[in-house]
Amino acid sequence: MSLIRTVEISKTFGANEVMRKVSMTAEQGEVIAVIGPSGAGKSTLLRALCGLETITDGEIYIDDELLEKRSEGREVEKINSERRKEMLLRLGMVFQRFNLFPHKTARENIMLAPINVKKMSTKEAEAKANALLDRVGLSDKADEYPSRLSGGQQQRVAIARALAMEPEVMLFDEPTSALDPELVGEVLTVMSDLAKSGTSMIVVTHEMGFAREAANKVIFMCDGELAEEAPPSEFFSNPKNPRARQFLRSIL
Amino acid sequence: MNAIEQIINWMPALVRASGWTLALTVTSVFAALAISIFLALGKISHKPYLKYPSSAYVFFFRGTPLLMQLFFIYYALPNLVPAFTIKSRFMAAFIAFSLNVAAYLAEIIRAAIESIDKGQMEASRTLGLSYVQAMRLVIIPQAYRRMIPPICNEFIMVLKDTSLVSIIAVTDLTFQTKMIASNKASQLVYIPSMIIYLIMTGFFTIIFNKLEKKFAIYD
Ligand SMILES: Nc1ncnc2c1ncn2[C@@H]1O[C@H](COP(=O)(O)OP(=O)(O)O)[C@@H](O)[C@H]1O
Ligand SMILES: [Mg+2]
Repeated sequence: MSLIRTVEISKTFGANEVMRKVSMTAEQGEVIAVIGPSGAGKSTLLRALCGLETITDGEIYIDDELLEKRSEGREVEKINSERRKEMLLRLGMVFQRFNLFPHKTARENIMLAPINVKKMSTKEAEAKANALLDRVGLSDKADEYPSRLSGGQQQRVAIARALAMEPEVMLFDEPTSALDPELVGEVLTVMSDLAKSGTSMIVVTHEMGFAREAANKVIFMCDGELAEEAPPSEFFSNPKNPRARQFLRSIL
Repeated sequence: MNAIEQIINWMPALVRASGWTLALTVTSVFAALAISIFLALGKISHKPYLKYPSSAYVFFFRGTPLLMQLFFIYYALPNLVPAFTIKSRFMAAFIAFSLNVAAYLAEIIRAAIESIDKGQMEASRTLGLSYVQAMRLVIIPQAYRRMIPPICNEFIMVLKDTSLVSIIAVTDLTFQTKMIASNKASQLVYIPSMIIYLIMTGFFTIIFNKLEKKFAIYD
């Protein structure tokens, strides 16, 4: 059984096809690094998976159940919207720009969804938030508002907030790209710990060290296409796709 | 009788009339607030049956003169549709102002909501919140603080604009002033009246400044 499977998904904005026939799978416990040049469609892929962007063509399956099937923008198969919502809850998303709620403290940020979506009691949600804050090393910042936290701390809270919904797979869209260089490490540490504990993850990243060390699989995207898919050892030592080779040369 | 004595004699009538000015301002702004939230959410909505009527409403009430709207509700409507006859002048003024101010407040609220970063809605949705929950728990609480200054500003504008209702003989401060000026043949009355307007707008400006400071906590 695959956690996520896409079959030739495409996305067009107007006349601009930004993602073309991407087929991929994510298995339970797998850590996938998605890399590629800017504008390759990496964010579009993640956003399509978590429902922020509607694909134009193709099929998306979550746990082998159809989430979405479209052809030329039209829904081919009607999916019950409640069911769809339930399925999307299995994906957690972490954004490049954190997107913490500025009017809520760190702890309240984490508690909001469990209370309002899962109808968890305040007490239970608070205990959960405290445990998660501890896990990302921010117990002492529970009552701080996001504006009083560093970028790295904000991103760790954002990770805890997504984890609070107990997703089956965590999606990260360049989680360290908006951070000052000295703050990248603390976020990557939290992510590596997550990977080690068996959390399934899809991570769009420019951190090649992280991709090499934490990922089981690298997906290279270029011009909206999935150009190469390989284990990191293979990909980094011997990329087959010429554009991947060029990309690696340009960044290493 | 000297000027001071004259002014003191007019005071009770002017203060009473100011009461009507304030009553009309406060009631119509509150009614307008209630209407405007729906208009703003309607305008933001992607559903055509919410979006277009709300937009048309705002377009109409902002695009025609308030005085014309007041005349229409008080004079024309009872003739066209007898069921809509409004006997009380104050009530007609209240309705016209509520409907008109709602259009302006709707634009203020819409702008405040749209000024909130899109990432807030996206984060809310990926956490499983519905659109309505995201609006209620995440977007509006943030937009709230941004709408307070322009709403306060609008309140002051309304307070002054209510002087228009003197034309349909609602006994507000402007009407009372005109009455005194014509009956007693004394033009001096405009001075204390304008001072009363200044006191009212000044009072609310101070209150609102305090309010704005109070709402700027988490920046
Ligand atoms: N909402 C949008 N409207 C129009 N074009 C978009 C939109 N979002 C992304 N694009 C375009 O899609 C392409 C791929 O974008 P994206 O998926 O963000 O790339 P990446 O994350 O790999 O840098 C880019 O050329 C971008 O300009
Ligand atoms: Mg991107």
